[in-house]
Amino acid sequence: MIRVRATFEKCGRAKYISHLDLNRCMLRTFRRSGLPIWYTEGFNPHPYYSFALALSLGFESSCEILDFNLNEEMPFDEIRDRLNAVMPEGMKIIKVAEQKQKITAITEAEYSFSLTAADTDRLFSDVEALLAQPEILIDKKTKKGIKTVDIKPSIKVIVCEKTGNSVDMAIRLPAGTQTNFNPTLFIDALRNMAGEPFEAEKIRRTGIFCENNEIFS
Amino acid sequence: MLKDLIEKHLLEVQKPSRYIGGEVGSVIKDKSKVDVRFAFCFPDTYDIGMSHLGMKILYSLTNERENYWCERCFAPGEDFEAIMRENNIPLYALESLDPIKDFDFIGFTMQYELSYTNVLNMLDLAGIPIFSADRTQELTQIVVAGGPCVCNPEPLADFFDIFILGEGEEVNLELMDLYAAMKKQRASRDDFLRKAAQIEGVYVPKFYHFIYKEDGTIDKLEISDGAPEIVHKRIIKDFDKVFYPDNFVVPFTEIVQDRASVEVLRGCIRGCRFCQAGFIYRPFREKHTDTICREVKCLCENTGYDEVSLASLSTSDHSEIDPMLTALLDYTVSERINLSLPSLRVDNFSEALLEKIKKVRKSGLTFAAEGGTQRLRDVINKNVSEDEIMNTCRIAFEGGYSSVKLYFMMGLPTETDEDIVGIADLANRIIDLYYSIENRPKGRGVQISISCATFVPKPFTPFQFEPQDTKEMIEHKQKLLLDSVKTKKIKVSYHNPEVSRLEVILAKGDRRLCRAVYTAWKKGCKFDSWDEYFNFEKWMEAFSECGIDTSFYANRRFEYDEILPWDHLDYFVSKEFLIRENKTAHKSITTPNCRLRCSGCGVNKKVGRECF
Repeated sequence: MIRVRATFEKCGRAKYISHLDLNRCMLRTFRRSGLPIWYTEGFNPHPYYSFALALSLGFESSCEILDFNLNEEMPFDEIRDRLNAVMPEGMKIIKVAEQKQKITAITEAEYSFSLTAADTDRLFSDVEALLAQPEILIDKKTKKGIKTVDIKPSIKVIVCEKTGNSVDMAIRLPAGTQTNFNPTLFIDALRNMAGEPFEAEKIRRTGIFCENNEIFS
Repeated sequence: MLKDLIEKHLLEVQKPSRYIGGEVGSVIKDKSKVDVRFAFCFPDTYDIGMSHLGMKILYSLTNERENYWCERCFAPGEDFEAIMRENNIPLYALESLDPIKDFDFIGFTMQYELSYTNVLNMLDLAGIPIFSADRTQELTQIVVAGGPCVCNPEPLADFFDIFILGEGEEVNLELMDLYAAMKKQRASRDDFLRKAAQIEGVYVPKFYHFIYKEDGTIDKLEISDGAPEIVHKRIIKDFDKVFYPDNFVVPFTEIVQDRASVEVLRGCIRGCRFCQAGFIYRPFREKHTDTICREVKCLCENTGYDEVSLASLSTSDHSEIDPMLTALLDYTVSERINLSLPSLRVDNFSEALLEKIKKVRKSGLTFAAEGGTQRLRDVINKNVSEDEIMNTCRIAFEGGYSSVKLYFMMGLPTETDEDIVGIADLANRIIDLYYSIENRPKGRGVQISISCATFVPKPFTPFQFEPQDTKEMIEHKQKLLLDSVKTKKIKVSYHNPEVSRLEVILAKGDRRLCRAVYTAWKKGCKFDSWDEYFNFEKWMEAFSECGIDTSFYANRRFEYDEILPWDHLDYFVSKEFLIRENKTAHKSITTPNCRLRCSGCGVNKKVGRECF
């Protein structure tokens, strides 16, 4: 049995495929590809595969991770090409490689998005004001109910710039098995300030990282 | 661009992937290079419409032709409809995301009466005039319908330009060919409709005018524009060679029938007297085992589905059922594919067959007994004896099953209280049987689910003349059944009889009902087949505002010599045969299945060859 890790993008119309639907979609993609996918050996054998992180409905991504097993060794490029030949529109395998790190090594994910408003200058100062606050309290829904958390210490701002008619941002947030923060938490916090009304667009996951800023692979 | 407008709101709705297309298997063409664009509309939501096999067949068939482009369109859910109306998003097709009002054909498949208001709602959402008479004189936007309901399309006649009777595989393309040729000649809409009416299977309702008698029945039918007096349905003669898709559109979101599906036979040999499908799809034709195996394999490989079902009215009536299942299981088991077999009949449910099915999966056992006593089952020609039901249950119980679902109808012709009590008695005897079996499943009690529908007499069946029971009669029978069930091992459920009443009115209605359908929709009726939307009061208001006495359609016996609203449409079974069968039913005499003896329904004469 060979363990492999595929990195794929999920863009365009494919961003409307929910995580649950993506599972079914991959199962059928594997079957169409005719690849020798390894099946579990239990009472109800099924192909074994898993996604490193769930992606919210409506988000695009250029760095989704899919782990699966094959019964026989074959060139990584061939695996990639055979899957890409039968993938739905908007989904594309960028590379197939061996599984270097464990899924549990993931600590952060980076997201980019655009904020648009009638008055970009005002919006930009709202964003700056929010980021300057000592704490950013948000109500986070958890399994145990609604909890107030301070996301300020967890946000790493990578890009925050005013362009012609939008404020473009890239932020890193905790991700992985321990804590998972969705960029909508930040967007909602900005909305709660009730400043310049805006819309958030083109939310896209652009990177998955481990300790020490190392790219997960 | 429409796409941007759609995407702007898509995340506000439930299951957005239903509204954006892009599924594997969907066909994209360059619209500048196609001559005819066809919007195949299913008048219900994506989840339901995408499960419909007919759409998959006609979608692939049309798209095989390079210069024709068939796209899909469904009724949006209430949340998305509100957004569409608020933001002026016209109803669009899923492949190009172009508004369907710009298409050449807008084709609906009419699978059940309770989807009629959805057609109106979809036309309205599309920005297409709802009444055929209000549409442009130019040759575009031809609104057509097919499917079982168009065997009596009169309650829809004012909304459609064309009805297509019977099987669409050939006639759809003939119609599009004619359109393409006439479009080049810059013909008018009426020119096209007149020529189209000459194609066998094409019914253009506006050339047919009904004159009614004082008592409300039909006096005569006047035909204009050279349209044929009788419109004959179309059938595919060589069913084994008929086009079958080698790929399906594979949805992202879960749909009702989320699997590959291969049609193994068309028509039915049984002749159950209540069953419209059993008559309108005649003659019985089947595909060879080799063809079926090839189609199963091809579809599974192309779609990636890990489940395939065999579609038909009665799969076990296939003459090669045993070798077919053996061959199919060889393939499906080795490829880890589930084979599902709906539509198996009690009487030929052999031990060997059950063994084969068990190899695949243990799903529920369902029997459509339909009537509670042998006498009533003879009336409806459900040729199933109690011995056979018991025998099958015994095999099933010994094979590890402990629950059985039984389907019945209530309000069948000649039905008495005795027949209703008979339903409970039959269930009780199945329970007794279970406990008499020594190797029954250990430690489990038996569970019998009885599901009761209200009988709806339908056109082109021997029961087309029959009245439906009134609400009071049905309520009495329901109470009687509940009182007759004295154990928790039996669960009883019902269909809403008001739904069945609306069904019969629409099924047996004439052209005068079009106004009422329109009025009901105006009052907000849509998704009538959904419990949460069905609003009987609004429908009754609509009927009464239009001066329609619903009991004229629902509770009146139609006379044998009466002109029926569908008498000018020919589904190959003769009216004489239906009358003969109706009389035989009232004598509680059965008619053997077509393989045992030809019952002379007339289909063989129309097809020009014997069925067997």
